[in-house]
Amino acid sequence: MTAPLLEVRNLSKTFGGLKAVSEVSFTMNKGEILALLGPNGAGKTTAFNMIAGFLQPTEGQILFEGRDITGGKPWDLCREGIARTFQLSRPFSDLTVLENLMVGGFARSSDIGLIRSRAAEIAEFLGMGRQIDIEVQHLTAFDRRKLELGRALSTRPTLLLMDEVVAGATPAEAQEMVALVRKIRDTGVSILIVEHVMKVIMALSERVIVMESGRLIADGKPHDVVAQPDVLKAYFGEQYVATRA
Amino acid sequence: MSVAPHTTSAAPAAKSKSRVLPLALFTAVLLGIPLVVKDSFFIHSCIVVLFFAYMATSWNFVCGYVGQLSIGHSMFAGAGGYATVLLFTQTGLSPWLGLPVGGLVAALLSVLVGYPTFRLKGPYFALTTIAFAEMIRIWVENTDTFLGIPLNGAAGITVPLLGQNVAAMQFNDKVPYYYIIATMLGGALLATWLLENAKLGFYLKAIRGDVDAAESLGISPSRYQLIALAISAFMTGMGGGFYAQFYRYVNAERLIGVDLSIDMALMSIIGGQGTIFGPLLGALLLAPLAEITRSHLGGSLLGLHIVVYGVILILAVLYLPKGLIDPLRRLAAKFNGRGTGR
Repeated sequence: MTAPLLEVRNLSKTFGGLKAVSEVSFTMNKGEILALLGPNGAGKTTAFNMIAGFLQPTEGQILFEGRDITGGKPWDLCREGIARTFQLSRPFSDLTVLENLMVGGFARSSDIGLIRSRAAEIAEFLGMGRQIDIEVQHLTAFDRRKLELGRALSTRPTLLLMDEVVAGATPAEAQEMVALVRKIRDTGVSILIVEHVMKVIMALSERVIVMESGRLIADGKPHDVVAQPDVLKAYFGEQYVATRA
Repeated sequence: MSVAPHTTSAAPAAKSKSRVLPLALFTAVLLGIPLVVKDSFFIHSCIVVLFFAYMATSWNFVCGYVGQLSIGHSMFAGAGGYATVLLFTQTGLSPWLGLPVGGLVAALLSVLVGYPTFRLKGPYFALTTIAFAEMIRIWVENTDTFLGIPLNGAAGITVPLLGQNVAAMQFNDKVPYYYIIATMLGGALLATWLLENAKLGFYLKAIRGDVDAAESLGISPSRYQLIALAISAFMTGMGGGFYAQFYRYVNAERLIGVDLSIDMALMSIIGGQGTIFGPLLGALLLAPLAEITRSHLGGSLLGLHIVVYGVILILAVLYLPKGLIDPLRRLAAKFNGRGTGR
């Protein structure tokens, strides 16, 4: 067995008296699409932000390809090969699509010609090849989400962290997004997704982990995990589990 | 965020074609003015306009691209101006070297000031830059000697007159000053053009767009903002050095005072910040206006030019928030058959 791509050990985060994430441990393998589930306030985004370098863990360790990256700054992690998207897409709205896709390229190359042609390739990959000269503020919300994904890819990551892939998307758009995420995985990028929409999780991930009140309560195949009483309780409450039983 | 929204340029390759002709024309006019017009007062006014164009372009290098409003840039002009003059009077160093050395002093100051202030956003950043500049101004005005360096307090320092002396950057005629500042302006515009097509330029625009997103793309905001600020301060410091040589006089109020900072910022914003030629355009419009109101009405209506600035700023923010350069760019795009998109 080779070392896992990502290993999280006893990760904890406290905000004042609140323990948002409590001793969470899990591993992630190369080429995997791993989904992180949990009801609102479970600590998913806090855990996600610690892995992405946007929050400092109070305790615990994060290993990436065997290297300790705990407490690394976002820009350092980007160079390590970790990219992220945001829950609300955050494009550089007064730049063009192509320029948005170029910014991340400088982390990997200093040849602007190469960076530009790679950015154009990513635009094609996203199906946005015709929109490269459009200022992002003129794009639809969904195109901005796709662009956000492409922008993360422009840093040539080995691990892509995605926060809420289909939030606010129509069913058709969600389907397109799912296809796009699969296409990205097929290029060899491993993906960790925080997601609410069950349908998307079922379609995408081979393995899910579930958080509740800061703790990890389940880890396994999507269909098995959603049948676990703990998980049902976390999502639907005690009574639901009781009536089903 | 700063006062007005920003613009960026389209793909540089497509754009350069539309620029070559007007640029060549502008350069020809710029270099030809002293050959045609011999009136000394007119040349003097042109030098002042070019000086402001240079200063606004230097300001824009960091503030326009990163979207932060500095109203303390005059402290870098002061650092450069005082350094140039003091190096000349105390050690006899030629201003030709004094200007870049003054620029380095300003760049050093900018790192010290920028490190704490760039963490702040919007009005907090603007106010802090004013505070730093005013602190330095008041300190200089009230300090006669500092560690043996004669700052000469509020009276300022006069550069000893040597007559026509090329090594001391002193000329009987104003035309050499004209060509010096024109060359400096050309250098600043070139630096901005290089910035637009370089990693630093992309990074600054990314920081302007969204700091968190920029960080996730491998950008350390404080690092790249400081690099850009240091370059901007270097250019501003050289401008301060030129100012000192041209007037053969520096004092804290004129060179470090908030008026100069406001001029730099307003000309950039009204002309179009975050673009290569916006600040130049703003200066070409506003600096002559200030010169005319000062020289023709100055005695009777003190500060009228500031009222005029204010009115133009209001109109620009309301009707041309991307600056006066925006309609010109759209016009150029139309001429090139590229539609009205950009």
